[in-house]
Parts: sequence; structure tokens; C-alpha cells
Amino acid sequence: MDLEIQARLERFKSTPIDGQALKELVEAGLTWLRANQQTVNALNVFPVPDGDTGTNMVLTMQSAFNEIKDLGTHNVGQMAAAVSQGALMGARGNSGVILSQLWRGFARALHNQDVLDGSALVRAFADGRDTAYKGVVRPVEGTILTVAKDVASAAELALQETENPVEIFEHVIPAADASVQRTPDLLPVLKQAGVVDSGGKGLFFVLEGMLRYMQGLPLDAPTTAVQPLSAMKLENAMEDIEPGQDFEVVVDFVPARDLDLKSFYAELENMGTSIQVGEGEGMYRMHIHVPTENRNKPVDYIMRLGTITKVAMENLVAQMDDINKKSSGRIELAGIEAGQIAVVAVSPGNGISRVFASLGVAALVEGGQTMNPSTKDILDAFENLPTDQVIILPNNKNIILAAQQAKEVTVKKVHIVPSRNIPQGLAAMMHLNPDGNLDVITTKMTKAIEDVTAIEVTTATRTVEIDGVSVEQGQVIALVNGTLAISAASVEEACLGALEKAKAADFELITLFFGDSLASAEANRIADIVRAKYPSQEIELQDGGQPHYQFIISVE
Amino acid sequence: MGEETTTLGTIQISPNALATIAYHATLTSYGVVGLAPKNLAEGLAATITHEPARGVSVRYNGEEIDIDVHIIIEYGTRITSVADSVANAVRYQVEKALGMPIHFVNVHVQGLRVSNPD
Repeated sequence: MDLEIQARLERFKSTPIDGQALKELVEAGLTWLRANQQTVNALNVFPVPDGDTGTNMVLTMQSAFNEIKDLGTHNVGQMAAAVSQGALMGARGNSGVILSQLWRGFARALHNQDVLDGSALVRAFADGRDTAYKGVVRPVEGTILTVAKDVASAAELALQETENPVEIFEHVIPAADASVQRTPDLLPVLKQAGVVDSGGKGLFFVLEGMLRYMQGLPLDAPTTAVQPLSAMKLENAMEDIEPGQDFEVVVDFVPARDLDLKSFYAELENMGTSIQVGEGEGMYRMHIHVPTENRNKPVDYIMRLGTITKVAMENLVAQMDDINKKSSGRIELAGIEAGQIAVVAVSPGNGISRVFASLGVAALVEGGQTMNPSTKDILDAFENLPTDQVIILPNNKNIILAAQQAKEVTVKKVHIVPSRNIPQGLAAMMHLNPDGNLDVITTKMTKAIEDVTAIEVTTATRTVEIDGVSVEQGQVIALVNGTLAISAASVEEACLGALEKAKAADFELITLFFGDSLASAEANRIADIVRAKYPSQEIELQDGGQPHYQFIISVE
Repeated sequence: MGEETTTLGTIQISPNALATIAYHATLTSYGVVGLAPKNLAEGLAATITHEPARGVSVRYNGEEIDIDVHIIIEYGTRITSVADSVANAVRYQVEKALGMPIHFVNVHVQGLRVSNPD
């Protein structure tokens, strides 16, 4: 075993825990929780099934850790107080607030202590529980509160056998796990959903992380324990395909004896990748990707372990080919980590969505036929992202209001970059740095909006005269930066007229997005005419797929 | 309010019923240690009439349903997160029971209760 790890094991076994050691434990709890964050999110059904318990608890722990990471004190009482302060400041969601209360009680018990020994640890767990229970007039059992209660009891029992904090943790962790497993018996909505309580599981991971650290176990890979059936992500199999994997095999089975997960996983790892194991009512579901020559191996192996009830096998290569043939393939959105800036963009069409995705957008809201998404549509797009820094690009002046309402309703830090059309939104994306400072990036993106000229070409639905331009119903019109500029008999004329009005010759790049009402042959023809007229500009043609507008043109 | 006509007749859901759902959703939200009547008069009236959902008001203007809850929060918790959890829980429970969207859920923090002098 690693010398450093051995030294750590010795240290925790023989010396009481001081401020710096507590800091290490907090970090370990945070790291392990983060590694298992998605498992916790997938369990979230109470009080509201919004799938963010894991993320909220990570954000809370992260805030607690940020408060102490540069703190040099060896006094455990001071360190605990700082942890509590950080957790309070950053508490997110129901579980995050309860977690902050657990830390508050924990810190109170350690108030005048230099170091943490067995009996202080037990008092701290008890005070944590008491403080947490005081924070609500109707505590709901079968939640993180119950787990905290059972942890405190287990710690008290352990103290009768040992004074050593590591050994107390060794008693507490299995008790916490058992408590989590009992939660469906206490809270009916959990039983109905077939899950354990997400907050309780989150607390379990925090404590388990601390024990793993003291035992020298790794904290990066999530456990190979099974997940609930509902948490298995099988639909996204397409995105996980590695080269060499040709078949997806999913087997439902009832094992004859208790399944030894470690050797089960080990056997499967010899056959393929993307292994997931889910547990349902008395049955298991195994999912794996295998190369063609191994396609029967999982079934043959599992046959020896019990009774197979269902097998599904799918040819991944054939599916990928199918998907690549169709023009509407999957849109790859940017993965976001906590602390990064996530951009939510509203998009009217597939092609434009794809462009936004390629620029690093984290979430897309389909504007639909009327470009009128609701506040809830916008909110849903970013509420479950694992970060609390969000920028919204409404890309239409009518959507700015809904975006503002979404901002009011959420606890996340949301800035709106007031893009009034697609070209402005795209220009803003050029200035995104997901690791940057939210205010600075917002300012940059907002400035960038003004540097682009947007032309929208569509068909007039009524006869009007606006801004000196008279339009008859059925004519093609072009708006430059939202103002009616041209009315013409054809799309080609409208485009060319608008480009002239926009002084395109003074700019460098003209991007034409053609909509779903224009055939690509016609779009190409018009693009060629534009190229001929503006030889020194770079002209790009993209299939935007947007409704209503034959062309959306960005000039920059 | 909350009227639905089926082949068998009409279903009407009263504001009081919604208020009760909102009340229970609020009480079980973490951080809430009480509900507060908006003013003394309402408080007295509520006590006399044993009103189950004091501190909660449900308003219907013919089109939209708005719910206001007035709560007391435990000192030492993060107020915005607690209020946010209350709003989410109330909205979720009422919309689930009603089968219709609610317009606004407004959470008013009327005070803090100190149970643990830190």
C-alpha cells in the first residue's frame, strides 16, 4: 500500500482529529458525494421530484469546503464553526438546508474543543440531529432526518465498545446504510416510486466518504453498487458507444443466490463496456455493450447465476448508421460541472440548435412555431444542471420577459444577455468562457450583441406601411435589426436589398441560415448570388430549419 | 374555481381545499417552524373559527390562481433556500391535486424563530 496512505491510516487511528484533519474529512465527504451525485439525483422523489438533491447537497458541501480550504487553524472547534458557516451560506434545496443544520449542531458540540475524540464525535452527531430536528415543525420521517437520527444512535452504541473515532465511523456507516434502506417503509411516496430517500443517501455518501478516506480507499470512482431500476440511463446508450462495441445487450434476471456484485462486475468487464446494473422488485437488469464476437457471452454467463426473464439485444452499429443517415441526429450539448457557467439558448429550429450546441450551449429551449416558450420551459432547461451560474439567451425580444420571470423564480444566479434575435445570440456565444466570472462574461456577451447586424427575411401577413416602407400581404419583407427595411417580390431580392441596407460590404462575415420553407437548392442558388455580389466577404450557408423566416442572416 | 365539467356533472374545488393542501405542504417543508396570520385580526378570527389553513391565502381572479403563504423560518437556516423549497413544494402538491397549473406562489417570511442561541 502507498506509503502516504499508510501514514494517513496510522494518523487517524492513533491521534485525535484536529482542525486540519477535519478539513481533510470534509473534503473527502464532498469528493465522494460528488462522485455519486447522479445516483442521488436519480432517487429524488420527495418533497418534489425535481432530480436535484445530489447537486444541491454537493453545492452545499462545496460551499462549506470553500469556507475552510485556506483555513490554517488546528483547533477543531474553529474549523467546525467555519464549515457550518460555509454550509449555511451555500445551502441549496431541502436537503442542503438540513445538511447545513446538521453541521450547525455538529459545530456547536465542538465549540470549545481543540481536538475531536470518540466521545466528542458522538456528542457532535447527537447535537447535529437535535439541531436539525428543531428546524421544522413537522419533521418527515423516512428522510435525511431519520438517517441522521439513526447515525447518532449508532454512534452512541459504538462508544460503549470503543473510544476511537475511526472505529466509531466503522460502526456508523453500516447503520446509516441500513437506515437508508428502511426509508421506503417510513415514507409511502418512496415505496411507491421504488426508491430510497435521496437526501438520506446523500448523507450516507458524505459519511462513507469520510470513512473511506480514513481507510485509505479511493474516492473517485463511484461504487459498483446497483442503482434503482428507474435510475438506469439506457436511452442515452448511443452517446456512450466506444469503438469496438457492436451490440447492446440488456438482460433481466432473478439470481438464484445473493449476487456477489464485485465478481459480477469483474466478469462483465471482461466482456464489454458501459456496464450498468439496476435493481427492481426481486430482479436485476444488466446492461452492457459488447463486440460482435462476445454478443452471447453475457446471456450465457447470467444463465448460470439464475433465471433469465428477458433478453434484449440491439445492433448498435446499424442504429448509428440509421441515425447518421437522418438529418436530425442527436444534438450534443456541452457537459457542465459545478461552478461553470451554463448557457441556455432559445432556438427556433434544428439547424440553429445544432450551431448553438457546437458553440458550447448547455441547454436548448425549443422556441417552437411561435417562438413563445413558457417561463417553466426555460426554468426546466437549467434547474437540473449541476451548476448555479446560468446565462439565458432569449434570442427574441418577446422571450426576454419569460426569461426574467425564470430568473425571479430560481435560486440560481441567472444573468440574461438580452439577445433580440438569433444572430445576436450566436455572436454572444463567441464570448462564452464557461470557467470565467459570471458578471464579466455577461458584460462581454452583452457588448458583443451590438456588434452584429441581423437580417430576418419572411413573408408579410398583412398590408401595412411602416417606417416609410409599404408592404402588401404576401410580399417578402426583410427586417434589419428588427426594423422593417425592404419589401420585395422575391426572397432573393429581399436578401440582396437588406444586405445592401445593412452595408454588408463593410463587414467580413455573412452567415445565411435558411428556414424549413425554403428548399436547399433554392437556398444554395441565393447564396451563390450573394457570393458573387460580395466577393471579398466570407459567405456561409447553414440549414437553420427555422419556421416562418426563409432566411436569418448575420452580418459581422 | 377550479371547475371541471365531465359527462356526469361539474367538479368544483374550493379555495379552502387548496389552502389546506398548501398549508400541509408548507408545514412539512424544512425550515418552516410556523405559519403566521397576516395581521392580528385574522389571527384572532382564525383561532375562533378553528380555521385549518391560517397563514395561507388562495386567490382566484377568474383566470389565474395565486397562493400566498406567510411563514416563520428557523433562525440559522438559509432563508432563500427555505422559501424556495416551500414555493416548490406548495406548487407541486397543489398542481398535482388540482390537475391545473398555479400562476404564482408567493412566500412571505414573516419572522424568524430562534430555538438555538448560537
